[in-house]
Amino acid sequence: MNALPYQDTKPVGAAGFYTAINATFRFIQGRFGGDGLRRYWEDIGTRYYRPVSEQWTAGGLPAVANYWRDFFAAEPGADVSVTEAADHVEVEVRTCPMIAHLREQSREIVPCFCQHCYFVSEAIGRPAGVTVRVEGGAGSCRQRFYLAAVAPEAQTLDAIKEVQS
Amino acid sequence: MIGCYDFCGHYEWTFEWLREMGGDDLVKQYWDEAIHQDSQRHAGEMIVNEGIEGMKKYWAHTLEEEAAGYVCTASDKFYRIDMHACPSKGFLIKNGLQQYRDYCDHCIGWIGPLMKRAGFVIDHQHNHCGQCWWEMRRVEDAAVPATHPADDVRLRADWKIPGATIDSYDHATDVDQKEVIPPGA
Repeated sequence: MNALPYQDTKPVGAAGFYTAINATFRFIQGRFGGDGLRRYWEDIGTRYYRPVSEQWTAGGLPAVANYWRDFFAAEPGADVSVTEAADHVEVEVRTCPMIAHLREQSREIVPCFCQHCYFVSEAIGRPAGVTVRVEGGAGSCRQRFYLAAVAPEAQTLDAIKEVQS
Repeated sequence: MIGCYDFCGHYEWTFEWLREMGGDDLVKQYWDEAIHQDSQRHAGEMIVNEGIEGMKKYWAHTLEEEAAGYVCTASDKFYRIDMHACPSKGFLIKNGLQQYRDYCDHCIGWIGPLMKRAGFVIDHQHNHCGQCWWEMRRVEDAAVPATHPADDVRLRADWKIPGATIDSYDHATDVDQKEVIPPGA
């Protein structure tokens, strides 16, 4: 049993689904613009991932670290390390499995794709008093999760790279 | 990050989010535009160009990748899937996830427009419990009735669940061409 809120019978997900996630972002952005896409990310973080918020509320930063370790262990092609520092959890994504797969499949990637990691994680963390800072993107990035009370300056979207397909 | 391990969970959640934002028409447009024409464009390329041979190639790969419980049968006139353990509906049932009224509609929601483009029609039923069957044949062969192979999922003891409706499609390519068969019929 891993720390993920929804359990599958397979240990690792099917990479073929990554194209649907990218296509979903493109469809929503096309219909509702950037604000609509951010609303989707906020809503999925707040509603669908509510069990993760509850884990983080109960377990604090160690629960954040456990979640991301188990999350990336179930994503095919991920090269990620998760470390716990004194005041934050650091998720170093050396190979983002989704960007790698989409590039391998020669798919046009939504340019603001990597912003979803910020908006979804921020929505998951808010009820737990956890906040995230994302730096990099487009295939590799660093994500730091802090308790909101001791977090550094606010996230700027300029720190998250646009994806060139 | 939104991942693929629990894809079917947030995919199903997204259907209801879209319905709340734009009604059933928006969900239908999503299945056609985002899934058929964008995400699964490789399926379209294979099936439009190669017909039944393309179906064999596409589903042989995708059903294995998703670890489905299924049997495929085919001739030069039809391609058929009998699914006795749908991995995505099974994931939703196992985890108690249901936001949208009928997750199973998404399959014909994207496969229907693809088959229409490729010149095929679909006979299909699903029982909302992770079991379904599909038979695709060319429009010009549409008068031929569906086959009844030995592995027909409808022969299974668990096909008809007490209280569950069965959704049925006859020579269809559109999710709205549904006939609902009530329990016990």
